[in-house]
Amino acid sequence: MNRAFIAALESIYPADRLLTREVELLPYESDALTAFSAVPGAVVLPVNEAEIIDTVRLCHEQAVPFVARGSGTSLSGGSLPIPDGLTIGLNRLNRIKKLDPEQRIAVVEPGVINLAITEAAQPYGLYYAPDPSSQSICTIGGNIAFNSGGAHCLKYGMTSNHVLGMKVVLADGALTQFGGESIEGVGIGPDLIGLFVGSEGLFGIALEITVRLMPQPELYRTVLAAYDDLGRAGDAVSMVVASGLLPGAMEIMDRLAIKAAEASVQAGYPDAEALLIVELEGEAPQVEAEFDQLRGIIDESGAFEVRVANDEEERTRIWKGRKGAFSAVGRLSPDYIVQDGVVPRSRLGEALVEISALKEKYQLEVANVFHAGDGNLHPLILYDGREDGALEKAEALAGEILALCIRLGGSITGEHGIGMEKRDYLPAMFSEEEIDIMQALRLAIDPKEIANRGKMFPGGEAPALAQHGMHPLERAGVISRE
Amino acid sequence: MATAIEKCVHCGFCLAACPTYSLLGEEMDSPRGRIYLMKNVLEERLEAQDAQPYIDRCLGCMACVPACPSGVEYGDLLVSYRGAQEESRRRPPLDALARKLVIEALPYPKRFRLAAQTGAIGRVISDALPAAFASMLNLLPEKLPPRLPLPPVLPAQGERRGVVALLPGCVQQVLAPAINYAAAQVLAANGIEVHSPPDAGCCGSILLHIGAEREAQKIARRNFTVFPRDIDAIITTAAGCGSGINDYELLFKGEPDAESATAFADRVMDFGAYLAELGLLAPAGFKSERRVAYQDACHLLHAQGIQSQPRTLLRQIPNLRLLSIADAGMCCGSAGTYNIDQPDIAAALGRRKVESILAAEPDLVASGNIGCITQLRQQLALLGNPLPVMHIAELLWRAYQGDR
Amino acid sequence: MTVSAPASVAELQALVRDSERIHAIGNGSKTALHSGLNGATHADLTKLSGIIEYQPAEYTVTVRAGTPVRELSAALREQGQYLPCDPLLPESATIGGTVAGNLSGSRRYRYGGVRDFILGAAVVDGLGRAFRVGGKVVKNSAGFDLSKFLVGSLGAYAIMTELTFKVFPDVPRFRSLAFDYERLEDALAAIYFINQNIFELDALDLKPLENSWQLLTRLAGFDETLPQRLERFSAAVMSHTSLLKIAELDDSVTLWDPLADLRGAHLVKVALSPKQVPDFDRRITAAQRRYGVGGNVAWVATENLSQVDDALQACSLTGLCLRGAVESAVIGAPVENVLASRVKQVLDPHGKLV
Ligand SMILES: Cc1cc2nc3c(=O)[nH]c(=O)nc-3n(C[C@H](O)[C@H](O)[C@H](O)COP(=O)(O)OP(=O)(O)OC[C@H]3O[C@@H](n4cnc5c(N)ncnc54)[C@H](O)[C@@H]3O)c2cc1C
Ligand code: SF4
Ligand code: SF4
Repeated sequence: MNRAFIAALESIYPADRLLTREVELLPYESDALTAFSAVPGAVVLPVNEAEIIDTVRLCHEQAVPFVARGSGTSLSGGSLPIPDGLTIGLNRLNRIKKLDPEQRIAVVEPGVINLAITEAAQPYGLYYAPDPSSQSICTIGGNIAFNSGGAHCLKYGMTSNHVLGMKVVLADGALTQFGGESIEGVGIGPDLIGLFVGSEGLFGIALEITVRLMPQPELYRTVLAAYDDLGRAGDAVSMVVASGLLPGAMEIMDRLAIKAAEASVQAGYPDAEALLIVELEGEAPQVEAEFDQLRGIIDESGAFEVRVANDEEERTRIWKGRKGAFSAVGRLSPDYIVQDGVVPRSRLGEALVEISALKEKYQLEVANVFHAGDGNLHPLILYDGREDGALEKAEALAGEILALCIRLGGSITGEHGIGMEKRDYLPAMFSEEEIDIMQALRLAIDPKEIANRGKMFPGGEAPALAQHGMHPLERAGVISRE
Repeated sequence: MATAIEKCVHCGFCLAACPTYSLLGEEMDSPRGRIYLMKNVLEERLEAQDAQPYIDRCLGCMACVPACPSGVEYGDLLVSYRGAQEESRRRPPLDALARKLVIEALPYPKRFRLAAQTGAIGRVISDALPAAFASMLNLLPEKLPPRLPLPPVLPAQGERRGVVALLPGCVQQVLAPAINYAAAQVLAANGIEVHSPPDAGCCGSILLHIGAEREAQKIARRNFTVFPRDIDAIITTAAGCGSGINDYELLFKGEPDAESATAFADRVMDFGAYLAELGLLAPAGFKSERRVAYQDACHLLHAQGIQSQPRTLLRQIPNLRLLSIADAGMCCGSAGTYNIDQPDIAAALGRRKVESILAAEPDLVASGNIGCITQLRQQLALLGNPLPVMHIAELLWRAYQGDR
Repeated sequence: MTVSAPASVAELQALVRDSERIHAIGNGSKTALHSGLNGATHADLTKLSGIIEYQPAEYTVTVRAGTPVRELSAALREQGQYLPCDPLLPESATIGGTVAGNLSGSRRYRYGGVRDFILGAAVVDGLGRAFRVGGKVVKNSAGFDLSKFLVGSLGAYAIMTELTFKVFPDVPRFRSLAFDYERLEDALAAIYFINQNIFELDALDLKPLENSWQLLTRLAGFDETLPQRLERFSAAVMSHTSLLKIAELDDSVTLWDPLADLRGAHLVKVALSPKQVPDFDRRITAAQRRYGVGGNVAWVATENLSQVDDALQACSLTGLCLRGAVESAVIGAPVENVLASRVKQVLDPHGKLV
């Protein structure tokens, strides 16, 4: 990073918010996908909108690539730094600027934590609906970049469906605003919110976001059903769908995922091949009636054990196991890759059979957690990075799973984004012309390709996979692992 | 150490729980960042001394441990890392002096009393002293309270429901002898016989906390043999002692007396947890309503998972209204010797904590740890607020005596 | 004016390539959207019609853009499903026109509007290129989501030929209640009360009566639960708001057609927030109007369009004129946006699509 650029940054940031020493930069070199790492040239920590705008304009002027970073929980390398580029840490812009319970909206800065909005809205009986498993730490800015969703997105949609207005600085420094406080969002004219949300940080940085809040359901009815066969759990989902019920969430976990979750939060899950969680939500009388219907379906679906959460505590426990399942896998295996494919719901069974065949082929363990309601699979591929070639093998298996999703008519990402990880698979989903058009769009907004350079689009210099294998100290016999 | 590092999958779930991250907002001051820095030091990609300031800023509050779905034993990692680094570490002379004072004085009640008394005089000139000393002196009361010795055996009142011994602790004995006194009285009122072996002393945790492993072992050993065999539990009223003793397994790993260490550790129980488990005999309570805020000590909540037990006790006191406070799990900044090492961050966290407590409009505050109590009192004093803060044992004792 | 009705995507591509200015039109149900464009070739899309793929088990349906809404709704109804964004003009509009105009009816209140249910599309852009945007499964976050961008785009960036939507199971049992309030403020206060409560309404509209304001509410659900829910709901609203009277109305399609009572040469849609309603409303008291979706959309019928235009300008709001002959369908505060113009530059650099 050249001296003049740093000097220009110094005129925007005081020393304690401009990080340039190695010890300050290393902790930023990865997001939650540690297979990739790259040391940024500098990290800045703006505290207001003006600083961000100045920084983006400076980057544009001097053609220095930048990446915005919320909490660094991206699972696709979205907030992976650009080697020697600038990382703009937005976590300090964490103010909820306005909360209007009457209109059910909140206006927030991009670094606000997803769950913090719900916490602020709770006293008014409202909440912010999109609930990625990482909601306790991921930021709204990151959610916007990836159109994040969660277990409860079947009914009310993902991030995009809950953003009503935005203020944005585009990659070339242009400032713009669209949408507002109406639930219609943009309303008249093309839906720019829909375009910006999910653009993976390639268009620019969201500075201020208006989100809609939802009334907390009066009643939840959460059912946990245990099956001795994964396919049967999948069939149960189809039965629920066919019945005309619209649950708030339908989630499945397989044996390995259950084991991890159990190790992590002792949710007291039954010992089973597959667990299905179905949750109904809404007005009490309606939910109770739907619940009777659901019970009938579940009883017929061949579950060998059915549990119903009787209070909020039991419900929380059921969900805690599910929500912590990804990171809990860290208890079973030193390394893992999370995949995020989508298949048409009716082909879930087929997909699972093929994944287990792939498991055999590669001799790797795969834990499955998925949003069954919308066919969004999260296979977690377990490997041991200390073994030679293990990462490559895991990556190859991941690739086959993505190919499978496309073959079955689905998508290579439901909510985690393409990022760095899946950029080489983009051509499998889109034609050359479609990719060209997206690229042209990107260039029209960011002629110098400085925003999140190297992500989403295939090609470009690939960063080295992170160095794995034994620690030098381990090799020298100084430390050891049990 | 390596296992803890390997287990970290970099998911960031711990960030939200970490007080230093919430205050400073940078990755290096987060659990994930610190683990990453330690990893890089171990892998020789980074100089230990460069990483040190960030490791030093860690409160050791353990809020990151229950927040981690991957089961990273951050506490073990921190203790081992600090221990390993301490040996090769060179400190600036004044810091080294403060540290020496901690190691030499804090664990020994007599010496600490003496130091504390001179400290009281020292406060007059504290402005002229370096920050590290000043903050330490600020912690000391104007005048030390009189000793409140307990008899070797305090008999149970009424039907005998149990026998325990009290772990006297170190600093607390000098600064707040009333805590152990009240605890013993409450236990006795609950039908429990309370032993106070004269030779029992400091558990060494405070030394472990600052990476002085060898000194910690030395101190800890003395306790292994002084407690009677035939008691139900060894009770501690200091959260830091309880959680530090949990680390004995690590501290004594490979030592000849490792087994005695774990055997001792297994017998130690927190005052509130013990009483809640046994079941409280309802006290007389208060004549009029008292609004009480309970402040979770990190070393109870995060390190030992003690959350509901003290609340259960408080709810059983007639006319006591238990309030809930925002961000209850956030450290108040006291954290062992943190007040002494990182006065600025400690003060900022303390201020936040006091603000969220005051927002609940309590009549008094209860906590299970002397460190928190001192910290809160000090922060309240800065605001000129006379809100009383006391140990939960003291509050219970008041309730037994009938509102005074 | 030349009108051409391509029967295939290839024909549409050729038409775009060969035309200087081209304007897409479905059934022409929103006259104002087409009136000012006499110089352009009109591409009539009604031949690009029909359901391509409907998988009830997937909650997804793919249709050609010229398909009448009526036809799609009937197919969905057969399977107990519906398009929750509730296309406006269910009898006359095409599905492409519904997306291009972003036009939803009152039931949009429950689950969301067009943008919330569109999943993907096939389009022909201003250079005559045919390509897909978005996806076909209920969840997809690969690539830029140009499908949502098409919502409200009025055919000015690309012409849609195929559209994929998410659909939901329907519970076609309804009960409707009307609450009358003396003043607009009281009726809005009732909306705010409902907004912070647990009641899940199917629709919530507001309209002026002679000397009062009427809040129209609708609940949907199982027959056996509706009476109890209605009871609780009306009791809560009665005890928390100062109303004049309450009445149960016969639930009907007309009751919930926001445009049913609106007479006037021009009809305008405005997206606004409930708190903007009072200021806007006092400027257009001469017009007929109804506020839909809990006060988030205004439907205004008027003979005097310039008065509505002035009101919009004064409130910094934008309107879309749907009925009558007008110079430009978009009135009020301008909507020009730098991000939108960058997209235009890529999809239609020669400005053919109008
Ligand atoms: C254990 C675990 C579970 C997860 N579960 C889910 C899940 O259930 N559903 C789901 O969808 N995701 C999930 N994720 C992925 C991740 O949490 C989401 O992608 C999240 O939205 C990222 O938020 P962040 O603040 O960490 O963003 P970061 O990782 O810091 O950044 C992500 C991307 O957003 C961009 N960005 C950040 N701020 C802005 C801004 N203001 N404007 C524009 N671009 C910006 C960055 O440049 C980057 O490309 C999970 C992750 C983990 C580790
Ligand atoms: S929560 Fe655990 S696994 Fe995740 S980053 Fe923190 S320490 Fe690592
Ligand atoms: S122990 Fe406390 S201060 Fe240290 S990293 Fe963990 S949460 Fe942060």
